Amino acid sequence: MRVVVADDAVILREGLARLLEEAGFEVVGLGSDAEELCALVEELQPDVAIVDIRMPPTHTDEGLRAAKLIRARWPHVGILVLSQYVQARYAVELLAQGTERVGYLLKDRVSDLGELSASVRRIGEGGSVLDPAVVSQLVGQRRRGDTPLEDLTERELEVLALMAEGRSNKAIGERLFISEHTVEKHVKNIFATLRLPQSGDDHRRVLAVVTFLNAA
Amino acid sequence: MRGRSVVSNDVFIAGVAAAAGVGAALLVLGSDRERSPVAVSAVVALVVGWTYIGSGLIARWQRPENQLGAVMIFIGFAWFATFLFDASSSVVFTVGKALESVYLVGFVYLVLSFPSGRLRGRLDRALIATALILVTAVELAWLAFADSHAQICSDCPSNAFEVTRNDDVATGLLQGQRTVGVVLSVLTVALLVRRWRHASAPERRSGAPVLWAGSAMFAALAFSVANDILDHPLGEGPAWARELVFAAIPIAVLAALVQRRLARTAVAGLVVELGEAATSLDLREALARALGDPSLALAYWVPVGGRYVDGSGGPVELPRPGEGRAATVVEREGEPIAALIHDPALAENSELVRSVCAAAALTLENARLQAELRARLAELQASRARLAEATDTERRRIERDLHDGTQQRLVSIAMALGLAESKLAADRPAVQPVLREARDALTLALAELRELTQGIRPAILVERGLAAALDDLSRRAALPVRLELDVDRRLPEQVEGAAYFVASEALANAAKHSHASEARLAAAEERGVLVLEVSDDGIGGAVAAGGSGLRGLADRVEALGGRLTVSSPPGRGTTLRAEIPCA
Repeated sequence: MRVVVADDAVILREGLARLLEEAGFEVVGLGSDAEELCALVEELQPDVAIVDIRMPPTHTDEGLRAAKLIRARWPHVGILVLSQYVQARYAVELLAQGTERVGYLLKDRVSDLGELSASVRRIGEGGSVLDPAVVSQLVGQRRRGDTPLEDLTERELEVLALMAEGRSNKAIGERLFISEHTVEKHVKNIFATLRLPQSGDDHRRVLAVVTFLNAA
Repeated sequence: MRGRSVVSNDVFIAGVAAAAGVGAALLVLGSDRERSPVAVSAVVALVVGWTYIGSGLIARWQRPENQLGAVMIFIGFAWFATFLFDASSSVVFTVGKALESVYLVGFVYLVLSFPSGRLRGRLDRALIATALILVTAVELAWLAFADSHAQICSDCPSNAFEVTRNDDVATGLLQGQRTVGVVLSVLTVALLVRRWRHASAPERRSGAPVLWAGSAMFAALAFSVANDILDHPLGEGPAWARELVFAAIPIAVLAALVQRRLARTAVAGLVVELGEAATSLDLREALARALGDPSLALAYWVPVGGRYVDGSGGPVELPRPGEGRAATVVEREGEPIAALIHDPALAENSELVRSVCAAAALTLENARLQAELRARLAELQASRARLAEATDTERRRIERDLHDGTQQRLVSIAMALGLAESKLAADRPAVQPVLREARDALTLALAELRELTQGIRPAILVERGLAAALDDLSRRAALPVRLELDVDRRLPEQVEGAAYFVASEALANAAKHSHASEARLAAAEERGVLVLEVSDDGIGGAVAAGGSGLRGLADRVEALGGRLTVSSPPGRGTTLRAEIPCA
């Protein structure tokens, strides 16, 4: 899988490249700001572009804006946005453009090589990845006052969170040491309780769950 | 001693004036050449001369530093000298004829130099010089050629200064002298009119009587000279009019003097007004009225730092001489307390300014203390703002340093550990748990660091601004929050920071202490002011309870020139409102 990386800090850019290469990815390009990243993407058409949110010149959210631009212009290029902090709203903004080939992770997560390579691979193959911290923010903001979330069991909440992270039933089952069939039953239950339209498609259900959680 | 010599000088002048007047009257009465009734002429001669000399003496007595008195005394004597013309002696008659127009030059000097007694510019001086040449050199040249009977009058004595008779030259010189005289008169009137149009209010008031009388005099003079040139088509009328107006001049000067004395009664009115002047603004108005200078400004002395400030505490520079404004410093017990910045014309009337200052000194001292207090408050406010800004800058620096330095380094170490973990996985399985542990500890450290930096300066505030940060805050709050946002631009960083922390603290208080079931968070920019309101439906009574936290918020808001108000009646919820200027 061909990957480009953009981060203004050399130390992180190079470290990430080494990790990715160790995990068997082909790092075809390195950039230090949003402009360079877009040029690299246009020229190299990688499978996945990995981008830091805060970059020059303003050090605010230019990475995120570049990500949205790339998604609009080159939809077949996957995007993984990295940040020192996660904001639920950025996840929602990213997903609003479509739930395919997109990911949003805390920077710390990349040190776990297994997690990193699984996430990049999932994005490259068309899936989505949300940081558990984003999901817990979303669940947290939804768990006040009257909410159907109150009616979910602990196990169902766990499944809901993993679903929101973009994991498949099989992956959820492996995580929770339960069978894929049991996961399916939980999922069905969750959708019924939250009164969401049933969907077999992993991508669509991420959007449904995130939209539900984000609703004020 | 000096005072006595001035007085004895004045007595001497008065005596000479009396004698000169009597002499002039006798000459008129004894003359056989007067066409008009001699008694009237004699009275006019006396009244005009004595009025000038008398007014001059009064002016000298009142304002010894002013030259106007001397100028009027000169005019009076020059006026009496013209009556030597009525003598029957040829030499005296000729001297009288030669001096006949000198008083007019003194008169031009008088109106041009009023009220200071000093000429104001090159044009003024050129005018006076030309007039002097006209009445001395040209007059004598004419006399050298003039035959008395042909050029002056048929029944006059002979011209004692005649060198050689030449009627053509004499007539030419006379006509030339008169023509230039008319031009000079017109020019003087034009100068006076222009000066009037550029005059300030106090200048106009003090100069009005003399400027009007002067203009009228020159108009009459030009008229009568034109009448002479055209060989008297209007008879003696214009000449009479000229003398009448001329006689009015010293009266006008006296009027100007009296008016200045009247102005002093304004001081009495001022004392009454000062008792009622409640604010520095009223005080300025009262002083401006008493001095008749609407442009008057007040500056108060601040001993600390040795500078002047205005009523609201802002710094003021006193005008230097020649800057178009004048300053009079008011002192009390030898210490300056304030300065009046006024029209320079008022300096000519320094006695009035002095009396006004004396009357207002106590009130000015009061106002000075207030202004000093305001100046200190302004300084305090400024130093508070600087402190807040320094804190903010420091916050920003720490957050940036942590984000770009420490956090990145820690992440890169975690990455290196991750890499090591992966590479060693196969041949050194025993090392793996150790590396894993180190990486987990690092991840925890990063999470803690993240918490810390979020507290210093939330990332969402940096990246997206206030509206997004408040939205985020309301979503993460421990109780349901109704959000009303009307802020659609990035505000100054300090404003965003202060507003965010007010909202954050208020929502935390609402969740922790108020037993509220719901809160409302509203932010709107209204005419350059950010208005932030956080209210809840809790138990109220927050002021007593949440003391220091609220004080800290208020400090932060006030340092930006804003205001924080808390309304928290028991049982009726709490509303916290911050207004922060953000233009």
